Amino acid sequence: MNLNVNFILLAPEILLTVLAFAVIILGLLITDRSKNMLGYISAAGILASIVYVLGNGMTGKVSYFYDSLVVDPLSQVFKLIFLIVSLIAVIASIEYFKNNRNQDEYYALILLSTVGMMVVASANDLIALFVGFELASMSTYVLAGFEKKNPASLEAALKYFLIGSLSSALMLFGMSLIYGITGTTNIPGIIDFFSIAPFAAESSLGVLAMIFLVAGFGFKMALVPFHMWAPDTYEGAPSVVSSLLAAGSKKMGFVAAFRVIVLALVAIRADVHFTFAILAIITMTYGNVVAVSQRSIKRMLAYSSIAQAGYIALAFVVTTQMSIAGGIVLALGHALMKGGAFIAVAVVGYMVLSDNKNAKNIDDLSNFAGLGKRAPITALGFFVFFLALAGIPPSAGFIGKLLLFYSITIEAITPTGVLTSSWLLLIVIIAILNSALSIYYYARVIKYMYVLPPVGEKIKEPAAYVTAILIAVVGTIGIGLYPEPFINMAMNAANIVLGV
Amino acid sequence: MGLYSYLLISIIIFTIGVYGIITQRSGIKILMCIELLLNSANLNLVAFSSFNGNATGQVFALFSIAIAAAEAAIGFAILVALFRLRDTINLDNINILRW
Repeated sequence: MNLNVNFILLAPEILLTVLAFAVIILGLLITDRSKNMLGYISAAGILASIVYVLGNGMTGKVSYFYDSLVVDPLSQVFKLIFLIVSLIAVIASIEYFKNNRNQDEYYALILLSTVGMMVVASANDLIALFVGFELASMSTYVLAGFEKKNPASLEAALKYFLIGSLSSALMLFGMSLIYGITGTTNIPGIIDFFSIAPFAAESSLGVLAMIFLVAGFGFKMALVPFHMWAPDTYEGAPSVVSSLLAAGSKKMGFVAAFRVIVLALVAIRADVHFTFAILAIITMTYGNVVAVSQRSIKRMLAYSSIAQAGYIALAFVVTTQMSIAGGIVLALGHALMKGGAFIAVAVVGYMVLSDNKNAKNIDDLSNFAGLGKRAPITALGFFVFFLALAGIPPSAGFIGKLLLFYSITIEAITPTGVLTSSWLLLIVIIAILNSALSIYYYARVIKYMYVLPPVGEKIKEPAAYVTAILIAVVGTIGIGLYPEPFINMAMNAANIVLGV
Repeated sequence: MGLYSYLLISIIIFTIGVYGIITQRSGIKILMCIELLLNSANLNLVAFSSFNGNATGQVFALFSIAIAAAEAAIGFAILVALFRLRDTINLDNINILRW
């Protein structure tokens, strides 16, 4: 290998890693009061990375480090998602963690978890994939428990840690079996092996390895039998960290699944689509049904995020270019909507705490009464995010769902109107009914915000929160109004997923 | 000893780990069981590496040992913080968050 290769396409990862350590060292040198500037430095670094990712590597494929990292359209799209989520979270944290004397560690951990997610997006080797997963997970375990005087935050961190490390162990076990079967850890090498010897993938060892991998990724994606940690963690963790977890960390499971599972499915042409269909249907129905009965808004958002994972998992049901592109667009949209919604919950928390220092259950539904009058920008943000999550046009949520449902429908019905697969059609119908159900619990919160009388004075919304919410609102509506560039980007990425 | 004996030992360790995670209620014991799971995978990797005749598996095992150490450190840090606040690490008592 030529060691003089040009690492310029990995500049965002290098920049953020250097920045993370610089933030820690700077934190040692400056006084506690001037630590507030670290948030601005981190946000600037992330913004620079976003600009770089948008401008580079969207076409073609370049591989680094003995083919263990690749930069291609798929990796760039997901890097964009992770960077936007972490930008929103960092901007909101400037207010949330203002005057906290541990800010240096906080920003360093956010930056490192972003780097971990980006490594997963680029991983072309099981070792790189595992290391990236662990870097992102371990940083977020600590972030979830960052309010160490708050029992709920620590409990969230403990549950997240135990389930997360169990899932990593299962994933590692699955990877060890794959290595045993194929003798390589390089993902294209594994695919080649399986396409030459499909019987190896259908052997009992191959099936076992696949089950372990699906379980390991499923925990991160919070698909239904593996979802138990998600509501507890999202509810207990600080709201800004919940936004990073729900919007960013969850997509890490999807990009890993796109790289490994879809390629393997395409290579061995195994008929496991039905399994994924069942998983997706159970996930979305469970998430929506349980979300209806929640009074804690963070918990409701957590269950709605499980339901959204179910919609995105529909991409695995038909694995056509359009379905995967739909999954990617919905993942991008969900990152903006859910990230923004958790930040908006942080504003409500700020509002309730400024009324009463010792308030409990700050995200309870009753605190949302009259939010439209008390905090108009936050309420507008919630309004947009909830309608987008329910899939109302023009929004990113609508475009993503449209692509996904349409891609399955054209597999079920030929253009001349002949029904070829009734179970695919049934899946689309169930998914649309689910969307209808979800409107109920979103509309209930909107009723609280705009119809019920306010319970307190109008507050001044902090500028950092407003900026973060507005970025998410503009992104959500922007993708809905001008979907073409994003759909093209997702289509290119889908070609990589399918190995075309 | 052939490949199968190593795989058998690894499966036994894995099963002990899973059994412990299901039955134990103390945070520390569950952490120990997770270490067992990780180490059974490491044993697999090294055994397969020797069987396949390339070193990739051993490199993977080294990476995962380093990661397991970092993971244990974070786990103990969370448990210590929780113990200071609640005076317990028994998972049955850690139940503020529930639906």
